[in-house]
Amino acid sequence: MKTRSTQINPGVSSKQQEIVRRSLQLVGLLVFAVVEVFVATAALATNRQLASPQASQSTSIPHVKCVIGLENIRPNTKGTLSLLPTGLEFATGKNKVDISTASIQDIFTGQESRQDVSGPAGTLAKAAIPYGGGRIVSLFSHQVEVLTVEYLDSNGGFHGTVFVLSSGKATMLKDQLVAQGAKVTPHLEPPEQTEQKQ
Amino acid sequence: MKPRTRAAFLSNFSIAVATTVLLLATSLLAQPSPPGKPGPGPQQKPKLTASAIQFERTDPPEDLLIPEDTRIATYENVILQLTKTKKFQHVYRSGDRTAADVPDLVILRLIPQAFKKGSQKQREVTTVTGATSIKVNIQFASRDGKILREKVVQGKVRFYGENLRATYDLAKKVAALANDTF
Repeated sequence: MKTRSTQINPGVSSKQQEIVRRSLQLVGLLVFAVVEVFVATAALATNRQLASPQASQSTSIPHVKCVIGLENIRPNTKGTLSLLPTGLEFATGKNKVDISTASIQDIFTGQESRQDVSGPAGTLAKAAIPYGGGRIVSLFSHQVEVLTVEYLDSNGGFHGTVFVLSSGKATMLKDQLVAQGAKVTPHLEPPEQTEQKQ
Repeated sequence: MKPRTRAAFLSNFSIAVATTVLLLATSLLAQPSPPGKPGPGPQQKPKLTASAIQFERTDPPEDLLIPEDTRIATYENVILQLTKTKKFQHVYRSGDRTAADVPDLVILRLIPQAFKKGSQKQREVTTVTGATSIKVNIQFASRDGKILREKVVQGKVRFYGENLRATYDLAKKVAALANDTF
């Protein structure tokens, strides 16, 4: 009997031990996974916090169209709009124009839609499509954001400049300029597609 | 046959001569009279002189909302087009302190009267709808506030082009009026 009991009991206890060991391993793995997730989340948050001041110091947006308003820059010129610690800078291949944050009087942003196929070449191409197919092409458009900056020169002369950026970028730039100390007044948004008369 | 032909020729010749004389007389009468002498033609307004102009910004009435990008594009386009006319030695911006010393300064104001925002897509698809238009009252005034010239003009984009092209059209009309006035 002793021999039997000693033969049966060790088998049962080893099974229990194995179950306990496995469950401990599982719990350990679970705890490890949870800790990993927490560590990864914390690291991401820390990275974001560290990255955002750097981004606010020098944000650079390429392919921005300056519609009008900058000295020595022709209307509708494309270039790179950068946010520097001192203000905005618009640079093309040849010229570079700065707008200091202190000189900014107001900043406006707005949504617009632009045709996917536009310009003189696009217009000609649309006209060349037979059976009015150019009108179908005109249906394709994309959203852009318009950034309007009003500022004063050294003599107190009023200037304004209009930039067209891809969607979402103008609001980001405005927020960063406001964080730098640029003046902004509360604005009323005009209603869409309505005629107004005095 | 011969006398008949001669008679027909004389008749035709006399008609042709009479017509030519009539045409000449009419064209001579239609010529504008020399300046300084009153004549039957429409009188042109005398041109004004000014060495410099200052474009002052004017806020629209409270019930007329115009997008700020349209206002800024109008302002900058007008400054550009006025400079291109070469009628003035200097085009001053609104608020420029150096304009205070200019003796014969003319003040330009654009008072917004109506604005309709169209749609480029609608214009290109339908051709007949979606026009953007902006109507303003142009005022050239002296420094003491006397209105020298006033006219209502409208800038619009009807078929092709972005909405802000209406401001370019308006600026061209402002420059044309400045050319006529100075």
